[in-house]
Amino acid sequence: MNPLVAISIGLREISAHKFRTCLSMLGIVLGVSSLIATMALTRGIEDGTRKFMQQMGGLEFVSIVNKEPSSKKFEFANLSPGRTLRDAEALKQSANFLSHVSPEILLSTAVATDGGGNPDRRMVRGVYPDHFVIGMHQIHAGRFLTPLDVERGSRSAVLGDSVAKQLWPDTPAELAVGKTILIDSRPFVVVGVLALYEMEEQARSRKSGRSVSRRYDPFRQKNETVLIPFNTMFHELRSGVFPLDSLDTMKLETLTVRVDDLDHFQPALEQIRSILDITHRGVDDYDLETRQDWFDRMESSVRAARLSGGLISTISLVVGGIGIMNIMLASISERVREIGIRLAVGARQRDIFWQILIESVLVSFLGGLLGILASLGLIEILKSISPTENVPVLTLDAIFLAVGFAIVAGLFSGLYPAAKASSIDPITALRYE
Amino acid sequence: MSLIHLEGLSKVYRVGDQEIRALDQINLRIEEGEFLSIIGSSGSGKSTLMHLLGCLDTPTSGRMEICGKDLAKASGDELARVRNREIGFVFQAFNLLPKLDVVSNIALPLVYAGVPTAERLVRAKKAAADVGLGERLSNRPPQLSGGQCQRVAIARALVNNPRILFADEPTGNLDSATGRMILEMFDALHAAGRTIVLVTHDPAIAAHSRRVIEICDGRITREYKP
Repeated sequence: MNPLVAISIGLREISAHKFRTCLSMLGIVLGVSSLIATMALTRGIEDGTRKFMQQMGGLEFVSIVNKEPSSKKFEFANLSPGRTLRDAEALKQSANFLSHVSPEILLSTAVATDGGGNPDRRMVRGVYPDHFVIGMHQIHAGRFLTPLDVERGSRSAVLGDSVAKQLWPDTPAELAVGKTILIDSRPFVVVGVLALYEMEEQARSRKSGRSVSRRYDPFRQKNETVLIPFNTMFHELRSGVFPLDSLDTMKLETLTVRVDDLDHFQPALEQIRSILDITHRGVDDYDLETRQDWFDRMESSVRAARLSGGLISTISLVVGGIGIMNIMLASISERVREIGIRLAVGARQRDIFWQILIESVLVSFLGGLLGILASLGLIEILKSISPTENVPVLTLDAIFLAVGFAIVAGLFSGLYPAAKASSIDPITALRYE
Repeated sequence: MSLIHLEGLSKVYRVGDQEIRALDQINLRIEEGEFLSIIGSSGSGKSTLMHLLGCLDTPTSGRMEICGKDLAKASGDELARVRNREIGFVFQAFNLLPKLDVVSNIALPLVYAGVPTAERLVRAKKAAADVGLGERLSNRPPQLSGGQCQRVAIARALVNNPRILFADEPTGNLDSATGRMILEMFDALHAAGRTIVLVTHDPAIAAHSRRVIEICDGRITREYKP
């Protein structure tokens, strides 16, 4: 029998029992819509996080972080000087796969204008010029710190946008350049002001004049930064705090490098390890943290969310399949005589089998289509309650996957009714009242 | 060669421990173009014989050849094919599909014969016109009278141009005037060369045919020409 004929018979059967069919579709509708919504939601979270990571810094950055040395090396741990400027110099000179090396030391201290305003306690960073690239900075006015600043230990400072605004509320950033600030009572000249960092969405609402929502701001730290040359930090501010340290032996707060080309990312990591093994005298008291690790962690949590959502949807699809099976069984017991007549005029058992199966798949497919519509509504609701950077994203493959699952559910739930219908004996069926 | 050839045909039903011999060693030949009646009282086995001849069932033992094919051990698909191509059925209760209109009901065998939609429509309309139903094609069976329903059923039985027409108490649900009309239709079909097998309990109806076979307790007890 032509499958198109079976489909048209099925459609007629469905339209003859609209209400009943709709009820039996409900499970499939729920399953499909929740599956699509879950996928859209996790996709949204994934996209949001990925965008955030892109804005925060790319994959090519590697942080060298402290770690407890392994138990084997524990007794030699004191031999290692830890992360020092020597590491940075060695990496800079020997690791040719790295384009930038940025050591940093921090100090939380008082920052004020020279006009005698109240000092604020701020985090001041002593950095190398490479920090400009590693920190993904942009200059709004003036210039960034230069190698000469570091070498001479000049009293120059680069301010984040928020800092400049707080120190001189009514002065545009361009005019802040050249002014003097007091860091721990020592005068520094502002040589540059950084650009204002913000999420796209924040920029949009700021431009349109709406109030910026007071949510977690990933760029807050960058906007509040105060940067001074590394050597200045050490000689002017830190040497008094830790008198025994020299420039070479002082422990770094952070050490970040940038890999030249992602194509040789792994060799670059090998290079870093072999160099640091020498400077740390074989003590494994450091670890390499890549953005890839972040991604992996994020991906595994997205996967977990997707899995649990998928599980719930699968359960409702199974329940929906059972509903369809139920309705198909009811339908064939109503249609015994019809099946008998069809057999009498020459239908083969397999014609009956296919007809019932196709009907079942049709019901689930229509349920799937309704599910897509329902998911559109569901996603609209989710959009209004989810944070804007994690807006649910509806993808075509989610739709295909969900409808595919619905069809499979219809197929499986139609098998038993179809087998039952095709095994009906024509003589009994013709006598059936 | 005979159109239908039965030899030692038996059908045994098992109900619990009991064996019921619904048909016992039937021998029968039906030639092309015959108009034959099978009569018998209720429970005589005439319906069982009808189901076997109509390929709705298979015998327990014996030979059954229809249109030159041995169908005693045929598979379900083969039987379905014979039902579809070689046999037309007319039932007492009409057995039309109430959800389909007249044309679709008549075209039903063509669906399973794999005839394309357009051709199905043409042939169904022609079959409807042949039984005098040219007008009411888009009506559905519940809107028709008994006689009209039976004519739809006859049109359906003939639409695939089968060699044999089986009629099981075709006038049982009709008043006598309509019944007579249906029987006249059978006469006309016979005159046109169609083989007709009529199953009934009423000798008066059987008298329309040219050869009568009487069945009692699963055996052929008498054969006569009316």
